[in-house]
Amino acid sequence: MPSVTFEHVTKRFGDATVIEDFDLQVADGELLVLVGGSGSGKSTILRMLAGLETVTSGRIRIDDRDVTDLAPRDRDVAMVFQDYGLYPHMTVRDNLSLGLRLRKIPRHEIDRRVAWAAGMLGLEPLLDRKPKALSGGQRQRVAMGRAMVREPKVFLFDEPLSNLDAGLRAQMRIEIGSLQDRLKTTTVYVTHDQVEAMTLGDRIVVLADGRIQQIGRPIELYRTPVNRFVAGFIGTPAMNFIEGTLAADGGRMFFSAEAARLKMRAGTAESSEPITLGIRPEDLRMDFIPQQPTHGSADFDTLTGRVVLVERLGGTSHVHFQVGPHRLMASVASDSLPEVGHDITAHVPAARVHLFGGDGRAIGRTAEIV
Amino acid sequence: MKLLRRIALYAGLTVAAITFIYPFLWMASSTFKPPVEVGSLALIPHDFTLDNYRTMWARAPFGRALVNSTFVATTITLAVLVFGSMTAYAMARLNFRGRPALNAATIAVLMVPGQLTLIPLYTLIVQLGWVDTYAALIVPYLFNATAILMLRQFFLQIPQSLIDSARMDGMSEPRILFTIFWPLSKPVLSIVAIFTFMGAWNEVLWPLLVVREQNLMTLPQLLTVFALGGGAGSVGVSLASAMVLVVPVVAAYAFLQRNFIESMAGSGIKG
Repeated sequence: MPSVTFEHVTKRFGDATVIEDFDLQVADGELLVLVGGSGSGKSTILRMLAGLETVTSGRIRIDDRDVTDLAPRDRDVAMVFQDYGLYPHMTVRDNLSLGLRLRKIPRHEIDRRVAWAAGMLGLEPLLDRKPKALSGGQRQRVAMGRAMVREPKVFLFDEPLSNLDAGLRAQMRIEIGSLQDRLKTTTVYVTHDQVEAMTLGDRIVVLADGRIQQIGRPIELYRTPVNRFVAGFIGTPAMNFIEGTLAADGGRMFFSAEAARLKMRAGTAESSEPITLGIRPEDLRMDFIPQQPTHGSADFDTLTGRVVLVERLGGTSHVHFQVGPHRLMASVASDSLPEVGHDITAHVPAARVHLFGGDGRAIGRTAEIV
Repeated sequence: MKLLRRIALYAGLTVAAITFIYPFLWMASSTFKPPVEVGSLALIPHDFTLDNYRTMWARAPFGRALVNSTFVATTITLAVLVFGSMTAYAMARLNFRGRPALNAATIAVLMVPGQLTLIPLYTLIVQLGWVDTYAALIVPYLFNATAILMLRQFFLQIPQSLIDSARMDGMSEPRILFTIFWPLSKPVLSIVAIFTFMGAWNEVLWPLLVVREQNLMTLPQLLTVFALGGGAGSVGVSLASAMVLVVPVVAAYAFLQRNFIESMAGSGIKG
């Protein structure tokens, strides 16, 4: 039985339609991540589920109970906010227990739950402090504890890590993941950070302009993006794109663009529309010694370019290079790197190439799912 | 050079401070002087006496006026804080049809001078039969546009996530206002309280219009009637009655001022 169901949910603010005809089912115990840029409507969806925004039309159900018109307090959901939303004038203990006190939960039960959450999150020594005296990570934990003590049907996270520095963010990400593993509470998690989405989500929903672009397991989104938006959004560093056309030549399909001609996988359909070729930086293999010019290469599986920038990240490095008018990037091991200004060839495995039509939709399935 | 400038600065400030504080101290000390001494500029009475206060108390019901004033000013202040913050909360944080119009109307109210509404208001009070009642002194002041706008401005800065958290925790809107917003709004509440209290406490014209019965008169009203009517008889007695008027306001200010500083320093919501 699905834990959360959106049915044809639409949200308008005045004349602006933010969410249109949104359908979604979240399975019981699942951690579902809503990811998208700003203005994609991800937070609005979460706030509608929480009851903090009204729904213009459509229904929302939690465990088959229609909660569309219920107040937030009656929905059995708990939420963790981006800026934590802790009451600054109350101690950690009061912040944790307030929601329970307001629900008239017996004192001993409140104490038990506060102790349980504090133990789980390492908050015991902080219970009598006020939020002002806590670090960002500690505040984040208190906010999570406040949601946990409620023992709700559904957890909602609204960009909970975006106010933390990079190191702490990585650590809290792991904590949230393992916490959800232990609690097995259905969770809807909103973020703009696709790394969070990839690492945390059982499934990911990619949103743009209030519409679902793709739903799937993280690896599905990475390997078989259904459109150019998802391809560019999921994966770090972002996918390279080259605009061009497809044409048949001697029984094989070739992708042609200025300064680039690449042989496509067998079975690629012909298309007269403009085509965007996508290739992930980690799928490019690089040789430093200039071989034959691309057009002369018998296999038509390489691009020739000049290195314009090398970003050394440690184990791997990002090599930016220019192929005609196209700026591309390859993610390679740092053992032996080209210098800026050197010519290189980049091997483009046909099986790893993604093709997108004029409307941005993926054409065929060029990469075998391994 | 730096030291000299510092000395000059402090000397200037000291002179300025004395200029402000001296008349007040002189008034305070003169209330304890016998009539012959009142003319002197000295701050320490030569012959300390409480006669001025005794005379004042004997000639007019100042005790009663003090009670009236305290009751009226306190009621008005509490009402302005409660109703004002409720209105401000709605205007700042709730979405409803007509909110921009309400904002505009509140600002428009500020542009109407009080003297303009004095006569219509008086007529209204007469028609309601409220002349010589506490209602006449209190009801017209229950709402205050300045207070609403000050509170609204402050409430706008409180993070939305606090309201969201409170709603998820199951609080009603009034509860959010009084248990979340109020503790965070001490600075602005203090300022509104002190201005409202002082305004209500010092009001003379309105009580003169709607109250004629001596038992209902407020302190400044009775003082005006007393001093202008020649009831005081001597400067010392006039000053003593003025002192009774001023002390509660100064005390209220001193009390709330500490609160200002405390809450200004402690209002770290984020960081």
